[in-house]
Amino acid sequence: MSEENQPRTDGGEEAQTDGGKRSDATRSSSDLRSDGGEEEPQTDGSGGGVPAVPPDDETPTWRERKERTQGLSRLTYEYFERSRREDQDLRQESTYVERDVLAFPTWPHETIRNLSLTFFFVGMMLFVSAALPPHMPSPADPSSTPEVILPDWYLYWSFGLLHLDPINPDLAILGGEKLMSDRVYGVMANIVVVSFIAIVPFLNKGSARRPVEEPFWAALGVGGIVFAITLAALPLQDLIGFIPTELLFNLAFFLPVITFFIAYAMLKTMREGYMYSLNRRYYRLRPPR
Amino acid sequence: MADEFMKGFGILMGSGLLWFTIASWFNTPGFEDTQLIAPNPDDVGLYADVLIAVKDIAFWFAILGALTFWVLIPAAREGRRAYEDRQKNAE
Repeated sequence: MSEENQPRTDGGEEAQTDGGKRSDATRSSSDLRSDGGEEEPQTDGSGGGVPAVPPDDETPTWRERKERTQGLSRLTYEYFERSRREDQDLRQESTYVERDVLAFPTWPHETIRNLSLTFFFVGMMLFVSAALPPHMPSPADPSSTPEVILPDWYLYWSFGLLHLDPINPDLAILGGEKLMSDRVYGVMANIVVVSFIAIVPFLNKGSARRPVEEPFWAALGVGGIVFAITLAALPLQDLIGFIPTELLFNLAFFLPVITFFIAYAMLKTMREGYMYSLNRRYYRLRPPR
Repeated sequence: MADEFMKGFGILMGSGLLWFTIASWFNTPGFEDTQLIAPNPDDVGLYADVLIAVKDIAFWFAILGALTFWVLIPAAREGRRAYEDRQKNAE
């Protein structure tokens, strides 16, 4: 080794970390260093070869590099650098497309977007109401009852629960009398169903991203939706008279249970395959060897 | 590909809105009667006849335009790609 190279190993880096410019002597010495054989690439980016950290805005300063060269700080740095590198490798292997932009600023992006959407829909409403004036029907006749009385479609299930009179039990101890009238029975059925729906959020917080992650609760939801649909058929039994009342009631209460079991079995079967890819995508876990 | 979808969708919606509006003027006798597809009225004047012609044009432009961008152009591209692949493999 030449004498010019000597200062570099001792105090060369300290001279640089002072924040001053690299002197010509230091630069020449570092040029000379390349003669002295290859250095091992260091995790902090120094050394020869391809640096572990590609130089960009986050490339550490010389002071930071010096602080990482000894003792516990070096150990800590190497640990985090290693984990960062593994995470980077996993991201590059993954098929998941990572977005660099996490959000857009409110002005102008979000505001302009929202204003254009608002103007579009307001303009569409003005256009339709101006070009196609709404139909004004004749006023309702309070003295005559319509043939078919139904609530709005999203309340059919509740209306169906008011039509449970065939299953309102009459008790032998009361001499065949019913414990409560059919109307009260229907209202009680509504209270029971709505209470169960209100309890569900306290039983399961709903942290699953996909139905396969919680097969039981997803199947419960499927059964509930089918139950709402079959209940909606009950008040329509006069309109769909081709199904006998007894069969209609059996379908209304057993079809949801059947669909619950079918959905549960399907989701439970699908779960293994789905969970692996989900974990790999969202948590970027190391795939099993 | 998404761009082609948007072109076809824009044609379908814009042209469909034009057809919808004119059909509601001339082919809708009443709210509780036939809507939008009633036969064309007679003797409504030149401007109305022009609008009815525009209505027919808009109707077919909506259907054929959407079909063009959703089916014909992608199918032609796929066909050309398959043809080029076959040529490349033959070499």
